[in-house]
Amino acid sequence: MQAYLVKTFIGIFALDENRKVVSFRPFPKDGSDVASRLDEKEPKEYKEIKIELKQKGFKTFVDDDEKSKELVNQNLRKYAIEYKFSKDVLEFNQFLSKVNQEVSKRKIKSQVSRDSLVINTNNAIDELDKSINIFVERMREFYGLHFPEMDRLVSDHEKYAEIIKKYGTREKISDSELKKFAEDSMGIEFTGEDVGIASILADNVIELYNLRKKLSDYLGNLLKEVAPNFSALGGDLIAAKLISRAGGMDRLSKMPSSTIQLLGSEKALFRFLRSKGRSKSPKYGLIYNHPLIQNSPADKQGKIARLLASKLSIAARIDYYSGEYRGDEMKKELHEKVKEILKEK
Amino acid sequence: MPVEKTKSAKIFKIRGRVVTVNLIPGTKVYGEELIKEKAVEYRVWDSWRSKPSAAIKNGLKNFPLQENMIVLYLGIANGTTASHFSDVVGKNGLIYGVEISGRPFRELLPLAEKRGNIVPILANARKPEDYEHTIIDKVDLVYQDVATDDQITVLIRNCEKFLKSGGYAVLAIKSQSIDVVKPPKQVYKECLQELEKYFEILDKVELDPYEKFHLFVVMKWKK
Repeated sequence: MQAYLVKTFIGIFALDENRKVVSFRPFPKDGSDVASRLDEKEPKEYKEIKIELKQKGFKTFVDDDEKSKELVNQNLRKYAIEYKFSKDVLEFNQFLSKVNQEVSKRKIKSQVSRDSLVINTNNAIDELDKSINIFVERMREFYGLHFPEMDRLVSDHEKYAEIIKKYGTREKISDSELKKFAEDSMGIEFTGEDVGIASILADNVIELYNLRKKLSDYLGNLLKEVAPNFSALGGDLIAAKLISRAGGMDRLSKMPSSTIQLLGSEKALFRFLRSKGRSKSPKYGLIYNHPLIQNSPADKQGKIARLLASKLSIAARIDYYSGEYRGDEMKKELHEKVKEILKEK
Repeated sequence: MPVEKTKSAKIFKIRGRVVTVNLIPGTKVYGEELIKEKAVEYRVWDSWRSKPSAAIKNGLKNFPLQENMIVLYLGIANGTTASHFSDVVGKNGLIYGVEISGRPFRELLPLAEKRGNIVPILANARKPEDYEHTIIDKVDLVYQDVATDDQITVLIRNCEKFLKSGGYAVLAIKSQSIDVVKPPKQVYKECLQELEKYFEILDKVELDPYEKFHLFVVMKWKK
């Protein structure tokens, strides 16, 4: 005799040759337990029901029978109540929901990969840069009331902040160049309290710069792990931006190189598509900031962008599917090809 | 404040705003307003955040969602709209919510846990085979709100697998997702032509100003 076995979320059903239910083994009434049993090919109850059926004289067992599955699913509500698994439809529905919550939780866990960290870190750096600009501007405005001349003399923001933190008022500055200007400055006098606030602002700017350094070091390490070849060719910053724009390595690895070439220039691309050829198509997106493109004459940039994008797409695929490091040889190859392009008339 | 009835028995209007009866009194889902009226608590259905509400506001006559229905929701996201569906179908109804992205599940899972009539399914709506054994019912209504260029095909394939004969399908056509280059009116026309092969179109309404370039369509399965 042959039996059909059907796994459902409430347990395992056995049907005979005429597809009549002959036995049922319930799963425990716990969402998490059921979720793991749905993952397993032969859970405990599956083996138990087989033993029971063998005793009843069934010899062969069929698992994947579409017709039986459909039949059981159609009547599952009825069966659940008949076999006293649920006391009513309401309880059945709630359990169905519960089980699928667990199943989804497990799927989400396996879905999130390390490249989500790249995307988040990259976004954090972008936002941090904006914040740094706002804070720096305020710090310069504030201390500029006291020592306006310094604004033009010290263009590096971090250095500016460190000077405030180190010396406080302009009179205490020992740097000879600045001292000259400090002596007959047109700024107002600062009290101790004023200087205190200025140095808090400066402290924060320095802290933000430290955070940025930490984040970008971290991003570099992440990229070595997630996208070693891709970041070797593109550089950390561009690699991270491309991954972030594509939405992860899996998507990036499936993109044609022409899409990678234009990632980040969607606005210009759609303007071109809409205008039916009246405006020009963009040649590059985020990869425009790559040194190989930046340092080339304008008439060659488009061609180099195409080459770079094609190499990047290969690198992304190696990273995603094999992970073997071939960055150095790919880089060499890329540089040679760029040289050839630059030689062309 | 007077509670006005609409064509759908479980959806009401208070002062022109669309509301549903709160399934779990006292709790908000997404920061919406709660209104208590003669011992019944209503949740305001924000037209700016939910397309069915926008459609009802814009004069949709026939919104087929009823109590005790079993619904398949494609593109459930974090459950803003689904929470109102859950109010309408009530404790004995059921909503199967399919969503491809894991991120919105952070909000959806607690909602499903609280309400008990939402079944969250993390899957791609393009591949109904992946979840055909999860959905054990033939559903009364398929609601679709996804942003893909093949949304019509996706809807039809899901209806073929899961929709009851004579069941309803409701969708929001996003012309900008289907083709940004073509004018919206033309996209709507092409979509409707395709849909008419399978469905009888009962009602349609544009969602402007709540959503730009969206057409909300209510249909009945011909099979």
